[in-house]
Amino acid sequence: MIRFENVTKVYEQNARPALDSVSLEINRGEFTFLVGASGSGKSTFLRLILKEDKASSGSVYVAGQNVANISSWRVPKLRRGIGVVFQDFRLLPQKNVFANVAFAMQVIGKSRSIIRETVPEVLKTVGLEGKERRMPHELSGGEQQRVAIARAVVNRPGILLADEPTGNLDPITSMGIMGVLDKINQNGTTVVMATHDDDIVNEMRRRVVELKNGKVIRDEAKALYTSMIPVVGESRRLRDASGEELNRAQGAQL
Amino acid sequence: MRLLFILGEIGSGLRRNLSMVISVVLVTFVSLTFVGAAGMLQMQINQMKGYWYDKVQVAVFLCNDGSTAVGCASGPATKEQQENLQAMLESPAVKQYINDFQFESQAEAYTHFKEQFSNSPIVDSVSEDQLPASFRINMKNPEKYQIISETFSSQPGVETVSDQRQVLERIFSWMNGASVAAMGVAVVMIFCAVLLITTTIRLSAFSRRRETGIMRLVGASKTVIQLPFILEGVIAAVVGAVLASVTLWLMAHFWLNGELSTQFLNTPFISSAQVLVIAPVLIALGAGLAGISSLLTLRRYLKV
Repeated sequence: MIRFENVTKVYEQNARPALDSVSLEINRGEFTFLVGASGSGKSTFLRLILKEDKASSGSVYVAGQNVANISSWRVPKLRRGIGVVFQDFRLLPQKNVFANVAFAMQVIGKSRSIIRETVPEVLKTVGLEGKERRMPHELSGGEQQRVAIARAVVNRPGILLADEPTGNLDPITSMGIMGVLDKINQNGTTVVMATHDDDIVNEMRRRVVELKNGKVIRDEAKALYTSMIPVVGESRRLRDASGEELNRAQGAQL
Repeated sequence: MRLLFILGEIGSGLRRNLSMVISVVLVTFVSLTFVGAAGMLQMQINQMKGYWYDKVQVAVFLCNDGSTAVGCASGPATKEQQENLQAMLESPAVKQYINDFQFESQAEAYTHFKEQFSNSPIVDSVSEDQLPASFRINMKNPEKYQIISETFSSQPGVETVSDQRQVLERIFSWMNGASVAAMGVAVVMIFCAVLLITTTIRLSAFSRRRETGIMRLVGASKTVIQLPFILEGVIAAVVGAVLASVTLWLMAHFWLNGELSTQFLNTPFISSAQVLVIAPVLIALGAGLAGISSLLTLRRYLKV
């Protein structure tokens, strides 16, 4: 579904590349965690899939198509096949839940009857039944993120990209969100999730791709969020040095 | 669906940016009013040229009691001199240049003078013998005035040869100057309007960056994202152009055809219907300028 072939992305000449000859394949229907410290290249990875940025060298294939060969007027078509969710939800504050989700269908010209039919279905999938008329500020963070997920998948994209979707949420709410993402993945959507949330990664036991300084340093199936990341991860490891975290990491190596 | 959606977006954009939109409307209104006024002046000049050039004559004035010209040294023109001039006008050498001519006696000149200045006290201070008799010549080609002037001005009994066209030319060049000045103001104002439209669209794009960001992500086409902004600018400019057209029409209707035409009975003014020819030009100009400047702005400030 998504294939990177020796992809390098340099934002500034002379600076360290954001991605350094990354080769990676993510299959249809897979659930992949993208982990790594801030600046490790996770966001760049997602931006290249959306053709928000152009790879400096190498090729990015999405749904079998080299994105470099997609002309600018056909980029919208590429993006209709990809849903995106962010840490900060990005809802429209003056529109209610229904209108926020419907917006994604309106702007690509879906008919009113299809919108009326599809939006409640999707809201049911993300667990927001009966909250169609609520305004975003009347919802909890978790509920807002569910609206954002509903909006991202309402046009039935083959791929869902999630950039730290639980970054602003407490652990229990995060688990709820993960349940929703898992359900969407069960329905056949390929999910790529960039995250710092070790609990979630350890709980889900899915494929983990770890980036460091723009390079893939680990790619494991059914893996854990190991503590190999610098700075933030370092301090966490110290804090957890005598605790459970260390034991879990050892368990993974066995 | 998509059309309704775009219309809704335009509506909300116009509402959110109301003060900027009003300023765009006003600036385009003022600038296009000047453009239209320059156009109307040109139309007025053409109208007057068409009307007057058929009527203007070359006048050969004969000497009278008060004449001081060299050719009048022998006093007022005699009957003999007058007949001599008439014979010259009928000779083939001169006849080929003129359509026809009339003789205007001092008595007729006095009658015309009284008609023309009926409202003015000057009539009372002028007597019949102060006015010169004249031959009024209609030229085949008014440009050939020089030939008539050379032939007649040195004849005995002729005081002066005057071309009415020259008087008109002075008026026309004055009107032309006014029209150029109006156009100059219009150019500056249009420049302001373009800058203002650019700023307005930029602000509008900025205040709706959240929406456009989402539209981009869910794969809305470039048209759906940009069209509301472009149409916003175009609508504001068209409203300005319509206001300018209405103002010009009112000016033509109430000022030119109402006020001035009763004061200057002999002057042909353009009709208010003729202003309707200018209106579509102004609207097209306003829409075109706004469209192009919004498009260029969006290319820079709205990533798609």
